[in-house]
Amino acid sequence: MSTVPRYDHGSRVPGWDRPADLDKDPAGIPDPATTEVPDSLRQEIEAHMANYPESRSATLPALAAAQRVHGWCSPEALEQVACVMGVTPAYLESVASFYDMLETTPVARHSVYVCTNISCSLRGADALYEAIRQAAEDGAGGGSDINVRSFECLGACDIAPMASVDGVYVGPLTESDVPRLLEDVRAGRPVLAEKQLARRRVADPRANTREFPPHPIEREREGD
Amino acid sequence: MPRPQPRTITFTIDGRDVSAPENTMLIDAARQGDVEIPAFCYEPKLGQPVGACRMCLVEVEGIPKLQTGCSTPVKDGMVVYTQGERVKSAQQAVVEFLLLNHPLDCPVCDKGGECPLQDITFGWGGGISRFIEPKRHFVKPLELSPLIAIDRERCILCYRCVRFSQEISEDYQLVLLERGAHSYVATFDGHPYVAPFSGNIVELCPVGALTSRPYRFRARPWDIEGAGSVCTLCPAQCNVTVTVRDERALRVLARENGEVDDGWLCDKGRFAYQSFHVDERITEPLLRDGGRLRPVSWERALQQAAAGLARAGASTGAIAGDHSTNEEGLILARLMREALGSPHIDSRRASSLPLELHRALGAPGLQAKVSDLEFAHAVLILAADPVNDAPILDLRLRKGVRRHGLTLAVASPAPSSLDENAATTVRHAPGAGAIFAAALSAALTDDEDAARLARDAGAEPEAVRELAALLRGPVDDVPDTGETPPREVVILWGERLAAGPNGEAGIRALLKIAEALGMGGVEGAGLLEVPATSNGRGLREAGALPNAGPGLSEPASAGRDTRAIAEGLLDGELAALYLLHCDPLRDLPDSELWGRALASAGTVVAHAAFLTEGIREHATVVFPAEVYAEKEGTIVHPDGRIQRLRPAIAHPGSVRSEWQVLAELAGRVGFDLDLLSGAMASRQLFESVPFYAGLTLEEIGGRGVRWQEREAAASFPTPAGVTSAAGKLEITDTPADALELAGFRSVWDAPEVEFSPALGFLFPHRELA
Amino acid sequence: MAATGAPLLLFTDIDEPGLRTLEVYERRGGYESLRRALEMTPQEVLGQLEASGLRGRGGAGFAMGKKVSFLPRGSMDKYLVCNADESEPGTFKDRELMQKTPHTLIEGLVIASYAAGVNCSFIYIRGEYRLQADALDAALSEARAAGFLGENILGSGHSLSLLVHRGAGAYICGEETGLLDSLEGKRGNPRLKPPFPANQGLYQGPTLINNVETLSTVPSIIRMGGEEYAKLGVETSTGTKLVSVSGHVTRPGNYEIELGIPAREIIYGLAGGPPEGREVKCWFPGGSSSPVLTAADLDIPYDFDSLAKARTMLGSGAIIVVDDSTPILNVALKVARFYRHESCGKCTPCREGTNWTVKMLERIASGEATPMDLEIMASVQEHIMGNCLCVLGDAMAMPISSMIAKFRDELEAHIESARASRGLEGLAGSELVPVAQGAA
Ligand SMILES: Cc1cc2nc3c(=O)[nH]c(=O)nc-3n(C[C@H](O)[C@H](O)[C@H](O)COP(=O)(O)O)c2cc1C
Ligand code: SF4
Ligand code: FES
Repeated sequence: MSTVPRYDHGSRVPGWDRPADLDKDPAGIPDPATTEVPDSLRQEIEAHMANYPESRSATLPALAAAQRVHGWCSPEALEQVACVMGVTPAYLESVASFYDMLETTPVARHSVYVCTNISCSLRGADALYEAIRQAAEDGAGGGSDINVRSFECLGACDIAPMASVDGVYVGPLTESDVPRLLEDVRAGRPVLAEKQLARRRVADPRANTREFPPHPIEREREGD
Repeated sequence: MPRPQPRTITFTIDGRDVSAPENTMLIDAARQGDVEIPAFCYEPKLGQPVGACRMCLVEVEGIPKLQTGCSTPVKDGMVVYTQGERVKSAQQAVVEFLLLNHPLDCPVCDKGGECPLQDITFGWGGGISRFIEPKRHFVKPLELSPLIAIDRERCILCYRCVRFSQEISEDYQLVLLERGAHSYVATFDGHPYVAPFSGNIVELCPVGALTSRPYRFRARPWDIEGAGSVCTLCPAQCNVTVTVRDERALRVLARENGEVDDGWLCDKGRFAYQSFHVDERITEPLLRDGGRLRPVSWERALQQAAAGLARAGASTGAIAGDHSTNEEGLILARLMREALGSPHIDSRRASSLPLELHRALGAPGLQAKVSDLEFAHAVLILAADPVNDAPILDLRLRKGVRRHGLTLAVASPAPSSLDENAATTVRHAPGAGAIFAAALSAALTDDEDAARLARDAGAEPEAVRELAALLRGPVDDVPDTGETPPREVVILWGERLAAGPNGEAGIRALLKIAEALGMGGVEGAGLLEVPATSNGRGLREAGALPNAGPGLSEPASAGRDTRAIAEGLLDGELAALYLLHCDPLRDLPDSELWGRALASAGTVVAHAAFLTEGIREHATVVFPAEVYAEKEGTIVHPDGRIQRLRPAIAHPGSVRSEWQVLAELAGRVGFDLDLLSGAMASRQLFESVPFYAGLTLEEIGGRGVRWQEREAAASFPTPAGVTSAAGKLEITDTPADALELAGFRSVWDAPEVEFSPALGFLFPHRELA
Repeated sequence: MAATGAPLLLFTDIDEPGLRTLEVYERRGGYESLRRALEMTPQEVLGQLEASGLRGRGGAGFAMGKKVSFLPRGSMDKYLVCNADESEPGTFKDRELMQKTPHTLIEGLVIASYAAGVNCSFIYIRGEYRLQADALDAALSEARAAGFLGENILGSGHSLSLLVHRGAGAYICGEETGLLDSLEGKRGNPRLKPPFPANQGLYQGPTLINNVETLSTVPSIIRMGGEEYAKLGVETSTGTKLVSVSGHVTRPGNYEIELGIPAREIIYGLAGGPPEGREVKCWFPGGSSSPVLTAADLDIPYDFDSLAKARTMLGSGAIIVVDDSTPILNVALKVARFYRHESCGKCTPCREGTNWTVKMLERIASGEATPMDLEIMASVQEHIMGNCLCVLGDAMAMPISSMIAKFRDELEAHIESARASRGLEGLAGSELVPVAQGAA
C-alpha cells in the first residue's frame, strides 16, 4: 500500500477519483421519448416552472420534489427533472451538489440534522450528535434507517442543543431524549411533542402583555 | 446591432499616462502601456469577467479595497498602481493560495514550459510556501473523454472550462460539482464529455489539469515549433498553429482571428492532424496494374497519367474538391483548357448555375462577413446546418444570440443544434430548400403564390409568413426620426440550396429575398454561403467552373458540370477524368451514377491522401496528395477573405506539391505553364483574377484580406442590377432533390476523422451507402 | 440615551393565538399601514422610509430608504426579494417573525414594493425553515384572497406577485448576489459587483433586496411616521432591533431592544448572563462573522456605529456569548470549519484560505503546531480580508484575526501544552493524519 496520505473522502466528496466511462454516451438533455417521468412529479415540476418569470428558477423546488419521490437526487431522478425542465442532468447535478439539503448519494428516508455549530456546541451539541448517531446505528442493527448528520447552524440557537427531525425542530435536547426521539421517528409520531420549537414562546419577557396558551404543535406537512 | 464605437481615454498606470479605449477592462488597457496584470480566470472570449481567481488585484486611487483588473472598466483620469506593496502582497498571497494543493509536478506535466501558473508563480509569486500540511492526492490522470484527460490535483478552479461548456458551446455537460474546497470539474454520472468543440477546454486550461490525450507526453515546449496556417478541413477555414516536432504535426492550436474563428476550433480541426501521419496515408504514387493499385516511381506515374490525358485530350473532365487551393484550381483549369483543350472542369457539387448568377451571388455589395453573424439584427439559416457544415459558425451564432441580441431564424428539414437559440424555426420537406426559398421570397414580396409554394415545400404557410415578418423586422413601432439605420439581415445559406432540379430557381429566390430585404450595399448585411467544399469560393473565383474562367470571366467555351461529366463518362463522350482531392463516390451526389461512370472511364488520374473507396476501386493513377499542413498557396474564405496556407511540416514519403505535379503533367502533354515555384503560382492567380489585382502574399499575411475591401474589388463583374438576374421563378412541382443531397456530407464524415486514432469514434456511421 | 424599557414594535403580543391568520392580524390593526401607504404617492412612502433612518437588519446595515431610491424609475421589470435565508450562526430572529406574524412581513413587502415600483417579488427562505415557509405560504393565500396581493391591490392600481422560494441549505445564499443566482436556479455563487442588484439583479432586472426584519419594520414606520420612528434608538441607529442571544446565557432567545442600550443590559439584563460562577470570556456582537469582543467591552452601546468604532459590527444582531469554560481554540475551530464548509469555492482566497486556516487550527489542537503557526495564520487572515469576491472570506478572517489578537497568550499556551502531551510518540504517527474531513 502506498504510504502517501490519501484523501479522506468524507460524504461530500464522492467523485474526485472517478473517470468518465468511455462506453457511455455523452449526457445531453434527456429525450422525452425514452425518459419515463412519473406523472405526478412531472406535473409538480411543470407547476413550479410556471410560477417563475424564468422557468430555470424552478430548479431547487424541482430537485426537492424529485428527492421526495426518489429519496435522493439519484442519476435517475436528475434525468427525470432534466427531461421535464429541458436542461442537462449535469447542470442539475452541479446545482444539487452545491446544497446541503439535496442528497447526491443514497440516504435513509428519515433525517436527523443535529446542529453542531457554535451556539449549540457551546451547549453540548457535539456529544449529543455522537449520542444520536450511535443510538440510531445501534437501533437499526448496523444498517441505517435514519440519516443522522451534523449540520451547520439551523437558526434555532435559543433551543440549543437542537436537531431538525424530518424538518421538525426540537430542543433543547439532552442525551436522555435520544431514545424517545428515535422511537418517535420510527413510529411516525410527532417527535418529542413538548420540545418542538413550534410551541415555544418568544424569550423577551416584555413581548407578551397577556397570558397566552401554548402554540399547537406543527401539523404534518402536505408537501410543498 | 450596431457595433460599439469606443472613445479613447487616458489613464495613469504606475505613474505613466496610457491611452486606451474607454471601458476596456484595466487588464487589457494596462497592456497598452506595457504593464502586465497577471490573471487566470479572465478570458474575454468566455464572456463577462467573473472575478474568481483574484490574481489580477490592483490598486485604484480613490477606492479603498484592491480591485480586480479583469472587471474594472478603465475611465478617463483613473490612477492605477500595480507595483505597490499592497498589490504585491495580495498577488503573492493568491499565488500561495493557488499552490497550496497544486502538486507542483511540473517535470512530468505536459503544460510545463507553457504554463500560465508557472509563469505567474515565477513572475508574481513569493517564492516560498508556508503550507506544510500534506497535499491532497488523487488517482490521475483520469479520462474525461477519448480526447481529453483530467488531472484534478492540478486544477486551480478557474472555471474556464465549465464556462466554455456553459456559455460558449452551450452544451452544459461539463460542470462543477460540490462546493468550496471540495469543488471539482466533472460530467454527469461519469458520462464522457463529448461535444463538437470539447477540445477547446484543453487550450483554455491555464494549468495542466486538462490535457489532450493524443498529445500527452509527446513533446516538451522547447523541442517543438509552432507553424501558423489555416485549417482546410471545412469551409470555416479556422486559423491554426500547428505544433511541429521532427517534421510531424503533434498538435493543432487555435490562432485567434476574430474575423474568422474567434479563437476556437472544432474537435475535427483540433484533432484530425493525427491522420497526417497514419499508415493509411498514401505517400507514394500508385498505378493500377492487373486490377490493383501498386506503388510505382514518380516517373512511371507521371508518364502513365500524361499518356492517358494526352489520349483523351479534349474529352477529359476534371473535378477539384476539398483542400484544393486557388492556385491548384487555376492550374488545373489551365491544364484542362490550355493544355488539353477541354472545357470540362468543375468544383461544385450542385448542378450548374448560369454565370450571371455566380456573379450576382459574388457581388461585393452583397457579401456578409463572419462577424456580421454576430452583430446583425437577424440571421436566417437556409439550407445549411452550421455544426455539420462549418462548425465554428455555430459558436459565432450562439454568441450573437447570447451576447448581442441577435434574432436567429432557422429554416431546415430536420432539427438542428441551433433550434434552441433560434427565435423561430421553420421546417420544410427534405430537399425542398429551393422551393422554400421561393415561398419566402414570395411572402416577402406579397406574392399570392406564397402559400402554395410553402405547402409545396412542406412548410406551414403561416410559419413562412411569420418568418418573413421577422426578417423584415419591426416596421412602424419606431417612429421615423429621419435617419433610421438600415436593418442588418444576414442569410447564411448552404450550397445545397442550389442542388437538384430547382437549384437555379432557389438561387434566384435567394437573390430576390436579398433584394426584398434591402441587403445590397448595407454594411453588416448580406449573404454568406457555406460552400460544400472547404475552398469552394476560391476555386470558383480561380476559374474551376464549367462556365467561368478566372475571376468569373466568360470562358472561351462552356464545358460540362460535375453531373454532366459523369454522364459524359457513361455515354462515352468523355474518356478521362482528373480528380483533384475528390472521391466522387463519397464526395458527390448520386454515387450510384458515379459508380457506373467511374467504371466506364478510360483513365482516372487522382490526387488523394487516402485510399477511399472510389479511388481504390477506380483510379488508374494516384498521386499522393498533400494535406493542408504541407501545402502552400491561398484559399478563399466563404466571406471573401483570402488566406494563406504555409507548409508546417515536410512531405512524408515522396509526396510532391499538387501545383508541381499539375505543371509537370502540362509540360508532358506539351504545354509550358511557366511555373517554377509555389509563389509563382500565386502570382499567376493574382494576375489572372482581376479583382485580386495587385495582391501579394505579404499583404495576405497571417490574418488574410477580404478582397471586397481592396480597391481591385471594383473590377468584379457585378451584373447590372443584381436582381435583374432574378427573373421569373420556375419551380418543378416535385421536390425530388432529396437524393441529390446525399452528396452533401457532414464535415465529420471525412477520412481525416475516420483515420485519426483518437478522433475516429466521432466518425458517423453512414446510413446511405 | 436609549432605555431598556423601549416600546415593542415587532414583538408586541407576538404569541397571541392565531396571529398567523389574517383574521387576528387584521383585528389587531394589520394592513392598516398598507391602506395608508396606498393613499400616499410612492414618493411619499419612500420619504417616510428615508426619514425613519431604518438601516438594513440583514447584516450590512445599509439605509433602507436609500437602497429603495437607487432603483431606477420606469416601467422595466423590477424585482423585490426578501432575504429570509437567515443562516448566520447565532441568528434566529427572522424565524420568530415569519413563524408567528407572517402578515407583518407581507404587509411590509407590499408597501416597499409600492415605494419601489416593483410588481414581482419573492421571499427566499432557507429550506430548513419548513414551519416558517408553510406559515408564509398560508398567510400568502389569505392575503391574496383578501386583495392585499395580486392585481390592483385595494384598488390602488398597484400590483404585486409574491412567491415563497425555499432554499436548499447553503449559507452563501444569504449573500445577496448568491441568493439571486440561487433564485435563478443556479449554484448560489456570488456575483461580481458592480453591477449592483439595484441596477442589474434578478433576471438582469433592477432588484431590491431586504432582510425579513427590515421589511417587517416597514408597517410600523408607516403607522408611526418616519420621523417618529427615528426618535427611537440613537442618531445613526434608529429604531428597535431584534437581538438573538445564544450560547452561554441563562435565557437564550430573541429580544427586541432599542438600539443604543449597553450590551451588558442585553447579555446580563435580558438574557441572564452566563451560568452561575462563570464569566463572559468573549462575545460575538453580530453573528459568528463579527470580530469578538471581551468582557471589557460589555458597556459598549449596542448600535451600528459604536460597534464599528470598536472594530466589530452589529451584523445580524446575533449575540453569541462564550464563557470562561471554553478554550478559545474550540471557538476558532468551530467558526473556521463553518466558513470552510460554506465557502462557495468560486474565489481563491476564501476557498483556499478557509481550508488552510482549519488545517492550522487542527494542528494546534493535535499538538503539531508551533507559535510560528499563529503568525502564519494571522497573515493568512490578512490575505483573505478585502481580497475576496464577496465577504464570506472576510467573515471568517475577521473573527479569527480578532481571536488571535485578543487571545494570543491562551493560544500559545495551548500550542505548548498540546505539544507536550503529544510527546515523541505522537510525532511519529504524524504521517497519516487525514488531509481533510467531510462535513464539519
Ligand atoms: C456571507 C453572507 C451571508 C449573508 N447572510 C444573510 C442572511 O442570511 N440574511 C440576510 O438578511 N442577509 C444576509 N446577508 C446580507 C445580505 O447580503 C444583504 O446585505 C441583506 O440581505 C440586505 O438586506 P438589508 O439591507 O435589509 O439588511 C449576508 C451577507 C453575506 C456576505
Ligand atoms: S468569498 Fe468565498 S463565498 Fe464569497 S465568492 Fe469567494 S469563495 Fe465564494
Ligand atoms: S483574472 Fe481577475 S479575478 Fe481572475
